[in-house]
Amino acid sequence: MKRKGIRCLKLTLCCAAAAFAVQGCGASSDDGKIEIEIVQYKPEAANYFKVVEEEFNATHDDIHLTISSPNDAMTILKTRFIREDYPDIIGIGGDINYSYFVDAEILSDVSGYEGMQYINQGYLDIAESLELVPTDGTYIVPYVANAAGVLYNRDMFEEHGWQIPTTWDELVALCDEIQAEGILPFYFGFKDTWTCLAPWNAMAVELSPSDTTKQVNRGQTNFTTEYRELAEKYLQLLPYGPEGPFAYSYNDACTAFARGESAMYTIGSYATPQILSVNPDLNIDSFVMPAGDSADDRTLNSGIDLGFCVMANCENKEAAYEVLNFLYADENLQKYIDDQNAVPCKTGDFQLSSMLDGMLAFIESGNMTDYQDHYYPSEMSVDALLQTYLIEQNTDNFLANFDANWQRYNRDIIRMVQDYEAANGGKE
Amino acid sequence: MKNDRQRTFLLITIPILGLFVCFNTIPLIRGVIYSFTNFRGFGSYDWVGIRNYVDLFSDARVGKSYLFTIKLAVVTTIVVNIISLILALGLNSKIRAKGFFRGAYFLPNILGSLVVGYIFNYFFTYILPALADMVGIESMSTSILSSPNKAWIGIMIVCAWQAIAMNTIIYISGLQTVPEDVYEAGGLDGATGWKQFRHLTFPLIIPFFSINMVLSVKNFLMVFDQIMALTKGGPAQSTESISYLIYNNGMSGGQFGFQSANAVVFFIVIVAISVAQMKFSGSKEEQL
Amino acid sequence: MKNTTSAVKANKTVMVLLILGLSTIIFPLYMTIIIAFKQPSEMTNSISGLLSLPKTWSFDNFREAMEVTDFWNSLRNSLLISVLTVVLSIIIHSLMGYTLGRNKKSKFYNFVYLFIVSGMFVPFAILMMPLAKQTAELGLANWAGVVILYVVFYMPMNVMLYSGYLVNIPLALEEAARVDGASTWRTYWKIIFPIMKPMHATVAVITALAVWNDVMTPLVIMAGSSQNTLPLAQLNFQSQFGTNYNLAFASYLLSLIPILIFYLICQKQILNGVVNGAVK
Repeated sequence: MKRKGIRCLKLTLCCAAAAFAVQGCGASSDDGKIEIEIVQYKPEAANYFKVVEEEFNATHDDIHLTISSPNDAMTILKTRFIREDYPDIIGIGGDINYSYFVDAEILSDVSGYEGMQYINQGYLDIAESLELVPTDGTYIVPYVANAAGVLYNRDMFEEHGWQIPTTWDELVALCDEIQAEGILPFYFGFKDTWTCLAPWNAMAVELSPSDTTKQVNRGQTNFTTEYRELAEKYLQLLPYGPEGPFAYSYNDACTAFARGESAMYTIGSYATPQILSVNPDLNIDSFVMPAGDSADDRTLNSGIDLGFCVMANCENKEAAYEVLNFLYADENLQKYIDDQNAVPCKTGDFQLSSMLDGMLAFIESGNMTDYQDHYYPSEMSVDALLQTYLIEQNTDNFLANFDANWQRYNRDIIRMVQDYEAANGGKE
Repeated sequence: MKNDRQRTFLLITIPILGLFVCFNTIPLIRGVIYSFTNFRGFGSYDWVGIRNYVDLFSDARVGKSYLFTIKLAVVTTIVVNIISLILALGLNSKIRAKGFFRGAYFLPNILGSLVVGYIFNYFFTYILPALADMVGIESMSTSILSSPNKAWIGIMIVCAWQAIAMNTIIYISGLQTVPEDVYEAGGLDGATGWKQFRHLTFPLIIPFFSINMVLSVKNFLMVFDQIMALTKGGPAQSTESISYLIYNNGMSGGQFGFQSANAVVFFIVIVAISVAQMKFSGSKEEQL
Repeated sequence: MKNTTSAVKANKTVMVLLILGLSTIIFPLYMTIIIAFKQPSEMTNSISGLLSLPKTWSFDNFREAMEVTDFWNSLRNSLLISVLTVVLSIIIHSLMGYTLGRNKKSKFYNFVYLFIVSGMFVPFAILMMPLAKQTAELGLANWAGVVILYVVFYMPMNVMLYSGYLVNIPLALEEAARVDGASTWRTYWKIIFPIMKPMHATVAVITALAVWNDVMTPLVIMAGSSQNTLPLAQLNFQSQFGTNYNLAFASYLLSLIPILIFYLICQKQILNGVVNGAVK
């Protein structure tokens, strides 16, 4: 009896395992529909994607779409990649992870996708430059971009007659003026380390060349040279913020700015939904962070906030493109823009949020530069390095540390780039 | 007959040993192999020799996580064992409703540490500061979990809250092995209170003491759930335990190879500590 | 006479201290329960607002929490994994413990014993990344894979317990059966397996408790699939709806209830099992 019992158990176990294994790999479901699975990394847009999923499935008989918007999506995606269990499409940002995925050859070339012709060339160039070594294909269809600079309280500025600064000296003068009136110029939420990167990025686009990291990788320069002015100017901002900014989180800072406790807030456009949730009546506008001596040198800090990549092993590329067509339809994209205050990567007549008024000229003329931190390897934790720097305020140490860490975490990339250039005769 | 017996034993051993090798030994070997690569978890990878190990010893973050984990393990072990011993003495004395008390004090141990962590997270963030405000203690009016210097105390409290239950039960079963007449004999010699405990009771429960030491140190060195629930390694990376760092950077941070090397070193550390502990408690028991 | 009164007094002090100490255990549970029943509007920043009883005892939070955490499915997965692990552990580990315990003189079996028991020192951290890959390659990135891993992880400990317990069971019992012509296999199931019942209880309790509350294994093996265990559901829930504390606490309480019920019913067995497992 007992013997049989064990056998039964073992058999059940094996069957169950087999059943799950089969279930996991099938691309088509029972009713003959093609299954397309999207995992996208912006949980704040989960509701929007839920609606898109429902609308798509209601209008398509041959394809069944599932979109998941998990928290901590990068961890989940990478865990799934370790298991070689890939969704069909992933929605990610244009950052170092994208570079890694391209390098790992797990994304498919989407340059053949017909919707590609409507994508703003500027963002395709950004995607191109994110590749560790140049490739022939394009691996991401940019969806929306974000813009980082300074958000300001429009009503407060009008009331006091403050002018939008266009150079670093004007910014400092403005801050002094605001402070003289007993108002806090900036709010910082440095308890969340990633927020330390926001002012850094916004100033970096003007103060150091957009390909700084690549130049360093080629051995042409180092960060101690390139980032010194940036680091020193960053420290000058601190006195214009709240006392002890390391006690406040991102949420605290958003709340404080929403309640009018500061006149400005150096953060990206992505923060506006959070701010408005605290105070829906706040009149917010933005301007490009001035960090240099000439107004003409300014450039908008903007990168790919969300783009879609088709995975290399997706079986039905046609169906995947069909899904992309739906996502990039003007009315759906407009809905996303309204929902998230984003900037579309598609050319066309879109209605942008009034909070981007101050940046509109830059967006329209294409005067935009990608975030420097999109090139920093995540395991180097530059955000934590910056937080430490802002606490200790020792520029020499920070820069030396930055250079040393960079060489260590990027060793493989540096060698890859050098091999590539040796093979291709140098210049890109 | 003899053959049947040997054949049965072999037929039992081979599949089970196979299972063990397949899901314990082979992954262990694979882990060691990955530790010599720059694998990110996906895509292709290269052999990098012992570079990961060299880096390990110059990596400030890894060093910090070892210091944090060891500090947490040592302090928590001491705190837990002192409180458990006192509690066990109390619960073993002649009191009413002994069964009820034992059952109640063991309760924390059966609860999932993740959820316990979440509950205490709320306690530290809202209840404790509110209490401190009411009493007027300035230094406690912000969450201890948000301070790089104090966050580890919060984690220690949660670890201890659950572990005390377990260690107490073990001490109680130790105290029950001490025969009554030892106390009677001791009482004649005038040994009471602390003296009685120090010279009569404690030497007799030393084996249980060493069980608790081994259990505690090993569990706290591998702390993970509490970190996940309370701080996720923050603030300023001050509470990253070794297990958490390996999980976080290895699985999602793209350091699969490097963290494999970290895991190998961690494995060696665990083995070394366990062996040392067994040697130490072994010699201690022999002395008595 | 004098002696006993002072002893009674001392015992009273101990009682009072024990009752006071109990508050450290009851307070967090009390907090969990009342917050789980409250509405967000009842949560103020003052201590009285945080700790007062809810105005109405409504189960709305629980209903919503059950929905968002997919409670019944998670519960089913957790139960399935725990029960299957315990059953398989008792069968497989007792067989292995028996084999190794009865062959202490053989060099081969001694080596196997040491080999398996030394698995106790292997931290999960080193296995986790290769296992995430390996289970997926074998099509086991699901609850079945988790069960198999548990059976392997708890093997060192349980095999040690079983083979230690076997010392108490005289060989003569088996030899008598052998004279009657029964095979070793039959003798094991007829005689040895039933005798080891106390050890089965111990193994069941410590394995069940460890498996039920484990987060890391399912997190690494099953994350990203649509299946959750109870702790895993809490982890996902936390990052998604972490700001609504009332809902979160309702969900915490829900996840604690099954094990609390189990503990209330089998308290004695659990306490005994835990002590046996640690001390033996």
